[in-house]
Amino acid sequence: MSRRPNPRRTGQPGAPLALAAALALAGCAAPVSDRVILLPQPDGAPSAVEVGAGAQRLRLDRPYAVAELRGGTLAPASTDAAAVRQQYGLLLSQQPAAPRHFTLPFESNAQRLAPGAEPVLAELRAALAAMPAPEVVVTGHTDRVGSLEANDRLSLARAEAVRELLVAAGVGRTQISVVGRGEREPLVPTADEVAEPRNRRVEIKLR
Amino acid sequence: MPLSARPPSDGLPPRPTRPARPQAGGLALLLAAAALLGAAPGTSTAQTDAQTAAGSAVAGIVKRSVGDVSLERAGQRLPVRPGTVVQVGDTLRTGADGAAGLTLADDSRLSAGPGTELVLSTFRFDATTQDGQLLVSLWRGTLNLVTGLIGKKAPEQVKVQTRTVVLGVRGTEFIVDSTGATP
Repeated sequence: MSRRPNPRRTGQPGAPLALAAALALAGCAAPVSDRVILLPQPDGAPSAVEVGAGAQRLRLDRPYAVAELRGGTLAPASTDAAAVRQQYGLLLSQQPAAPRHFTLPFESNAQRLAPGAEPVLAELRAALAAMPAPEVVVTGHTDRVGSLEANDRLSLARAEAVRELLVAAGVGRTQISVVGRGEREPLVPTADEVAEPRNRRVEIKLR
Repeated sequence: MPLSARPPSDGLPPRPTRPARPQAGGLALLLAAAALLGAAPGTSTAQTDAQTAAGSAVAGIVKRSVGDVSLERAGQRLPVRPGTVVQVGDTLRTGADGAAGLTLADDSRLSAGPGTELVLSTFRFDATTQDGQLLVSLWRGTLNLVTGLIGKKAPEQVKVQTRTVVLGVRGTEFIVDSTGATP
């Protein structure tokens, strides 16, 4: 284990060199107390992390940018996908899978599944069977007709109705939670009080 | 606005005391599906209702786990396996060969690498409004966080701290490595 550089001694001859050498060796057992690595987003969307240590600030805003804290000093570095895979393989292997979204077709009012629902249900059950400790989140939505509060209740009732359909279709009740999002998340943006059938819907999420 | 103003095509009864049951046509389809699976419907709604209520004790669920992994809650050491519930204030510990991954109620995904000790210090999430707050304390080891709905709506509400570093999150996925931290 190499000696941790002390920032109060950086005036010593050789210290900057040692620091540069340590930086070059980043990834080995370097005297780094903390390291933050920004990973790419799957869709390539911009991403950033603001790292703070005491009064120091460092912003990471490109994939595989690294912030390292050594001896109390925050410094930028970088890495790449292969190095991250090698060093953090076990960590990354345990990351749960991203949630999966399903849309079940319903007849009006979400009281009954439409005839085309069975293939989707089959896919949903297959996905559930393949997931460790799966959760099903059923989220109801409304259009913007009516008050926020009434739509909260309505969307929850819609989600509860779909929960019953899923339970009847063989999904374990204790795996399912219900959410009413009310009119907050329209599929099709509208002005208030506009009736929009596409916004009356129930989404099913597996995670 | 009164519910009666709603177009007839939208709107279940405002607050059914029991969820609606499927009607004849749908029921046949569903029974066939249930028979195919050979699965029995659950018997109690209490647990799910409690989990979804405000102030729920369930912050997350462990999805994956290898090697030596445990949770500490109120001084008690609990074994960890997929399905284990994680609550606010729980400490997750992994041994030298251990690692685990869990999903939080806002879809945040979090994994802990070997030799890790982390605490779910703050977690609040309102599924209706998607308002909430997340603070993870990584006291040693490694963390991979993919932020969820809280971070999407209000990134400033998601933070990770180590003994020496605080992270303000403006993106979704990163690794924090505090392996070299000295207590």
